[in-house]
Amino acid sequence: MKNILAALVIGLMVFGFRGAEETITVKGSDTMVILAQRWAEIYMSKHSGVNVQVTGGGSGVGISALINGTTDICNSSRPMKNSEREKLKKRYNTLGVEVKCAKDGLSVYLHESNPVRELTLEQIKGIYTGKIKNWNEVGGPNAKIIIYGRENSSGTYVYFKDFVLGGADYISSMQSLPGTAAVVNAVSKDKYAIGYGGAAYAKGIRLAKIKKDANSPAYEPNPENIKSGNYPITRFLYMYLPSRPSGAIKEYIDWILSPEGQNIVTKVGYFPVK
Amino acid sequence: MKIKNVLFLFVFAMSGAVCFGQDSTAASASVEERIDEVKGQVDGINETILDMKSTLDALKKIKISGYIQAQYQAADKDGAASVAGGNFPATAHERFLLRRGRVKFMYDNDLTQYVMQLDAVPSGVTIKDVYVMVKEPWMRAVSLTAGVFNRPFGFEIEYSSSMREAPERSRLFQTLFPGERDLGAKIEIAPESGAFSWLNVKLGLFNGTKNTLDETDNFKDVIGRVGFSLPFTETNLALDGGVSGYFGKVRTDDGKQIIKVNSATGYEVSTDPTADRTYIGGDLELYYDIPSFGGFSLRGEYISGKQPGAAGSSSYHAVGGGDTYLRNFMGYYVTYVQNIGTKNQFVIKYDVYDPNTDLSGDDIGLAANKSTAADIKYSTLGFGWIYHWDGNVKFTLYYDSVKNETSKNLSAFTDDLKDNVLTFRVQYSF
Repeated sequence: MKNILAALVIGLMVFGFRGAEETITVKGSDTMVILAQRWAEIYMSKHSGVNVQVTGGGSGVGISALINGTTDICNSSRPMKNSEREKLKKRYNTLGVEVKCAKDGLSVYLHESNPVRELTLEQIKGIYTGKIKNWNEVGGPNAKIIIYGRENSSGTYVYFKDFVLGGADYISSMQSLPGTAAVVNAVSKDKYAIGYGGAAYAKGIRLAKIKKDANSPAYEPNPENIKSGNYPITRFLYMYLPSRPSGAIKEYIDWILSPEGQNIVTKVGYFPVK
Repeated sequence: MKIKNVLFLFVFAMSGAVCFGQDSTAASASVEERIDEVKGQVDGINETILDMKSTLDALKKIKISGYIQAQYQAADKDGAASVAGGNFPATAHERFLLRRGRVKFMYDNDLTQYVMQLDAVPSGVTIKDVYVMVKEPWMRAVSLTAGVFNRPFGFEIEYSSSMREAPERSRLFQTLFPGERDLGAKIEIAPESGAFSWLNVKLGLFNGTKNTLDETDNFKDVIGRVGFSLPFTETNLALDGGVSGYFGKVRTDDGKQIIKVNSATGYEVSTDPTADRTYIGGDLELYYDIPSFGGFSLRGEYISGKQPGAAGSSSYHAVGGGDTYLRNFMGYYVTYVQNIGTKNQFVIKYDVYDPNTDLSGDDIGLAANKSTAADIKYSTLGFGWIYHWDGNVKFTLYYDSVKNETSKNLSAFTDDLKDNVLTFRVQYSF
């Protein structure tokens, strides 16, 4: 039996420590996918020995991939849940490493012709939970509100639900779309539609000004208001790793947090963390 | 003449224009019809998509997962007694074994869950879990679970066999909680967020008969754990732990006695209709991420108490098994797991189970105190290597070095048994 044991140990160790490739896989948030692609393209153009592969799928999908070991880095537009950290603990014996890599103002999209210019958080909650059904209840025309949102694998879906809806369930008639670009596209074609997503995607639609409550001033999601924290729906965008990074992954993350990497954040339409 | 020509040309031109206008109007009408037709088709597709989406949303609630563990094992000798997947056949010390073949079906409706888990191996298909879970919608912190499910005691019971680094649970848990599950109901308080998100309380009532077996008495066993989970994310350190209790009774068979095997020189006899089944335990788990290397965990658990068993077994007393043998027991394990990168793990585990803390050595096996092989203490040092091939497949190479207490009064235990076991396992999980 000792011979069998020795052979198996040697075999497994040789097998287990095969040479690693300089390929970094990044998976997760659809909100962050354009930003992540820009980072990857520019980084690879300056570091020829590194291959960064970026895919979306949603924050939940990215976190699942991180837990089961099929991605090196997970992009997430929401913080990791306790239950997800528990799974990381079981697989990697760590809590995971959280890197805040950008800030985002979560925007509420309206059609360009919609006369409604501003909404309170309470009104948005009312619309998305079904208490408010007609635009005339929030100062608009007498027309039914058509509601668009994201799928439940999306970090934006979870963040919006937790932060804006206070954990309440979305109205069942909400049309869930597979990406923020799809939400923008849908709202741009529907006069009485409302949607939500990252500011970086806001092309061809109007961004509503948001008020904390009826007595507060309304703020639009521009860089000043998001940086100052005046805009009420501001969130961090995250990168998660199973454990403290080293080698090529550490160099890549250090570069993302450098002035050069953070400059790309601004160019894409998000806001730097530093 | 000129006027006629001009008039002719004018009439010709006008007639042409009228004809063209008629064609243009017809073409325009045709385009509008086509647009309406395409719009109708798009609306139809949209309706179909919405219908499919509602079907897909319902299907998304059905979750299927599972894992298969196939392994090769080699023991020191033919017929070796083992808790690493069961005793070896009398005429073999090597074997291939399909240790587990699990499939789990869940209908997850967020606040309510239906769960069924089966184990399909060559010896047959058995039910592992069948339960319903209902969570309150207000704080989403309190849930009720009813059916067949893991007993809420300690750490190792609820640590899934697909995730566990050592191939099997400690001898201690295999003896006290065979099959891990029982029929019953439990309340769990586990706030997802807020000031008490570090707290976890579980309390349940169970038959006490293990797995899916019918109840045999009117006594329900109370099992519970109060646990904490303290994450220090800035330092990537986590400290978890808990205190558990098991308070139950077993009914003695009609006309049978309770034998208290608690002295080297004799034993006590009781005719009480029930025997106490009482365990108290504590567990502690430390996690830390070593820079440039990987995370490690150091986990330990200690349990002591009273165990009503049988003459030849320290597992729990089953009605119909004769006299109840009541023993004071103790056991513990310590496990160290070191991740090396994201693909490799090294594990070392030491566990001890002493089924009778009142007897030791040559006192065991004496007719005067009614002790048997069921009173022998075991310790196991296990170590192994795990390689994660991808998100689904992992290989485990593990060696159990088992030591037993010896007694010159037990012929089978005058020396350390030849029962070390090597396991090479491949697991596929999804």
